[in-house]
Amino acid sequence: MKRKALALTLAAAMALSLGACGSTDKAAATDDTKTESTDKKDDTAKADDTAKEEDKKEDTAAAGDPVTIKVFSNLPDRTSGQGLVEQTIFDDYKKANPNVTIEVEALDDEAYKTKFKAYASGSQMPDLVNVWGQPGFIDEVMDAGILAELNKDDYKDYGFIEGSLDGFSKDGKLYGLARNTDVLGFYYNEKMFKDNGWEVPTTFDDLYALADKINAAGIIPVAMDGADKWPLDIFITDAMQQIDGSGVMQKTHDAIANADFSDPTFKKATDILVDSAKKGLFQTGFETTDYGTAQNLFINGQSAMYYMGSWDMSMATNQDIDPEVRDNIRVFTMPSVEGGKAKATDITAWNGGGYAVTEKAANKEEAIKLLNFMFQPEEWTKIAWENGVCMSAQDFSQFATGKETEVQKQFTEIVKNSTNLSGTPLGDMGTSEFKTICEDSTQEVAIGSITSDEYLQKLADACK
Amino acid sequence: MQKAYSNKAVIASLVLPGIICFVFAILAPICLSAFYSFTDFSGLGSYNFIGFTNFKELMGDKAFWRSMLNSLLLAAGFIIIQHPLAIMTAALLDRKGKHAEGFFRCVYFLPNVISVAVIAYLWKFIYNPNFGLLNNIAKIFGGKGDTNWLGSGTAIWAVLIVLIWHGFGWGMLIYYTGIKNIDPTLYEAASIDGADNKQTFLKITLPLMKPVIQVNVTLAIISALKQMETVYLLTNGGPGNETQFTANYLYKQAFSSFRYGYGNAISVVFVIVCVLATQVLNVIFKEREGRKRK
Repeated sequence: MKRKALALTLAAAMALSLGACGSTDKAAATDDTKTESTDKKDDTAKADDTAKEEDKKEDTAAAGDPVTIKVFSNLPDRTSGQGLVEQTIFDDYKKANPNVTIEVEALDDEAYKTKFKAYASGSQMPDLVNVWGQPGFIDEVMDAGILAELNKDDYKDYGFIEGSLDGFSKDGKLYGLARNTDVLGFYYNEKMFKDNGWEVPTTFDDLYALADKINAAGIIPVAMDGADKWPLDIFITDAMQQIDGSGVMQKTHDAIANADFSDPTFKKATDILVDSAKKGLFQTGFETTDYGTAQNLFINGQSAMYYMGSWDMSMATNQDIDPEVRDNIRVFTMPSVEGGKAKATDITAWNGGGYAVTEKAANKEEAIKLLNFMFQPEEWTKIAWENGVCMSAQDFSQFATGKETEVQKQFTEIVKNSTNLSGTPLGDMGTSEFKTICEDSTQEVAIGSITSDEYLQKLADACK
Repeated sequence: MQKAYSNKAVIASLVLPGIICFVFAILAPICLSAFYSFTDFSGLGSYNFIGFTNFKELMGDKAFWRSMLNSLLLAAGFIIIQHPLAIMTAALLDRKGKHAEGFFRCVYFLPNVISVAVIAYLWKFIYNPNFGLLNNIAKIFGGKGDTNWLGSGTAIWAVLIVLIWHGFGWGMLIYYTGIKNIDPTLYEAASIDGADNKQTFLKITLPLMKPVIQVNVTLAIISALKQMETVYLLTNGGPGNETQFTANYLYKQAFSSFRYGYGNAISVVFVIVCVLATQVLNVIFKEREGRKRK
C-alpha cells in the first residue's frame, strides 16, 4: 500500500512538473514575440485580444471589434529615422481606429532575415512584414506562397514612381509595396572641401587625385563599410552603370541566368573597385569596418567622404551630430570613368525595402487596411520627406516645404534629372546563396586576396 | 523506500521526464537534421531528396575545411598556450597570492562575466586600424600604427588571442579549485625535505592535478569546436573565410545562404567530429590511467 502511495505521489509530482514545463514554454514563447515590441504603451488588454483574434482568424472586419495587428519590422530604432516614421504612422492609425492594437517586433536586417525564415517555416506568421523587392530575397518568398496578393487598383492614385513596384510583382500579380527610392552617392563634408580647396570630382581620375590630396592631409578620403560587404557590391554596380550607362540590371540578370560573367563590363567595374582600394580611396582596414564605424568616421570628421545610400540623408537632421559636420553634408554621385557611356544623370538607384501582408495572417484584411493607410501619400511619403529621412517610392514633390536640408534638395535634383536608373545591385540579383558568395568574393577581390578573373569565375560558379 | 526504488513504474516515472526532454530537445532535432541533410531544402517551400550530394559537396568545400582547420588551431592554442598559463597562474595565486588572492581571482575571471557582445566590440575597437588602442600604442613606440589587425593574414591570430584571453578565466578557476583541493601537508612535507618551488610544482601540483587537467582539456577542445558567438560578432568569418569556424560556417550556410539542407549536412558531420573528438580523448586518458594502474 505504502509503495503504491509513493508511486502515485511520484507520478503526480512528475505530471505536475511536466505541466509546469509546458506552461513555462508557452509563457516564454509569448514573451519572445513581445520582447522587441516598442509599442506597449496603451495596450494593456493585449493578451486577451490576441487570444480572441486567434479564434476569429480573418473575419474581424466588423467595426469596433478589438483587433491586434502583428507587425514584423526591420527598423529597430523607433525614435529616429525611418523607424520613427513607421511608428508615427502606427500611432496615427491607432488614434483613428481605437479598436486596433499594433504589436511591433523589430530587428536589424540580418537578424530580421533569419527570423523571417524561421517564421515562414512555422505556421504562425506576423500580419504585416518588411520585404525586399529584390530577387535575392523575394523570389523564394513569393514562390512559397507566403505573401498575400494585393489589389493593384487600390494603388492607382498613390503616386508610386513607375517601375517601383516591379520588384514586388510576379506574373502580373502584386505582393508588396516599395518604401523608398534608394540612390547611392558619395556624401562629403563641404566645409572641409572648401577649407582645403578641394573640388568635387567629375571623373575617376579626379577622384584618385583628390584622394591623394586628402590622404596627404592626414584624413581618410572615403569611409567605406566593407565589413557588411554589400556596399562593395553596390560600388561595382555603380561602376558598371558608369561604364554602360544603361541596361546594367538586364546584363547582370543575363549573366546570372547563363552563369557567364565574361562581359568586359564586369571586369572593368571590378578593376575600378580594386584600383580604388589600392590607391587608398578607402580607409585602412575598410574590409573590417562596419556600417556604424564607417558612418562615425564621416560624422566625426575623420573622413572627407562617405559612400552610402540616400537613406542616410537623415544625418543632416540628426541633432546628435556636430553642427559643423551636420550642416555641411552634401552629396555627389559616382564620377564618370574613362571611356564610360554614362551621362552624369545616369545613376545607381533602385526600390529595395517595402512591406507586404502575409497570406496566412491572422488578420489579413485588417493588415491590408493598415498597409493601404501607411502608403496614402500624406502618410509615409509626407512624414518621411518632411523629416528629411528618405525619399519614398511615391511622388513626393507635392510635399516640398522649402525647409529641406541641402542634401535632401540635392538628392531630389539627382532623382528628378535622372535619365537612367541602374536597378537592383549585383548581389541582390541572384539567390540568397549567390548573394553570400558574391559578397564574400567582392570583399576578397577588393583586398587583393583574389584576382578580378578569379572573382568573376567565382560569381559564375555560384550561379551553377 | 528501498522497495519503492525497485518498482519499475517508479523508476520509469523518475527517468521519463529526463528522457522525454532528451528525446525532444536533442535526439529528435539531430534525427531531423540528418533527414534534411539529404535534401535541397532552402528553409521555405518544398524540397527534393538528393542523396549524398550535400556530403560530396562538403568534402570538396574549401571553406569548410578551412573552418575545421581553424577549430583545430584554436584547440591547439587552448592546450598549448591557454592551459599551461592558466595552471601556472593558478599555482602562483595559490602559493604567492596571500591577501590579493581574491582580487586577482576576480580580475582573471572578469572577461567571463562580461557579455560576449561587449567583448567582441571591445576588441573590435582595440584592433581598429584607424583609431584603435593597439595601433596608438604602436605609434608611441615609433611604429607606423596602420596595421589592420583583423585584416587578411593577421586576422586569425587576432581572433585566437581574443578567444584564448576570453576563456582563460574559466580554465584558471577550475585549476585553482583543483590546487586548493590538494592536501597542504604534502607541501609542508616537501618543504621540510628541501624541495624548491619548481620541484613542488612539477612533483606535487602537476601530478595531483591530472584529473582536473583531463576535464579541462576535454572542455577546451569541445569549446574550440563549438566556437561561434565571438567569431560571428568579431569578424563573421572574414575577410573571405580566413577566420571561419565550423559552427559559424554552418550558421552562414543555413541562415544567410538559406541552404538548410547543406547547413544540416555540415551539422551532421560536425556532430560526428565532436563525438569522435570526445571519444578519442576518453580513450587517450583511459589508456594512461590503465597503464598507471598496471
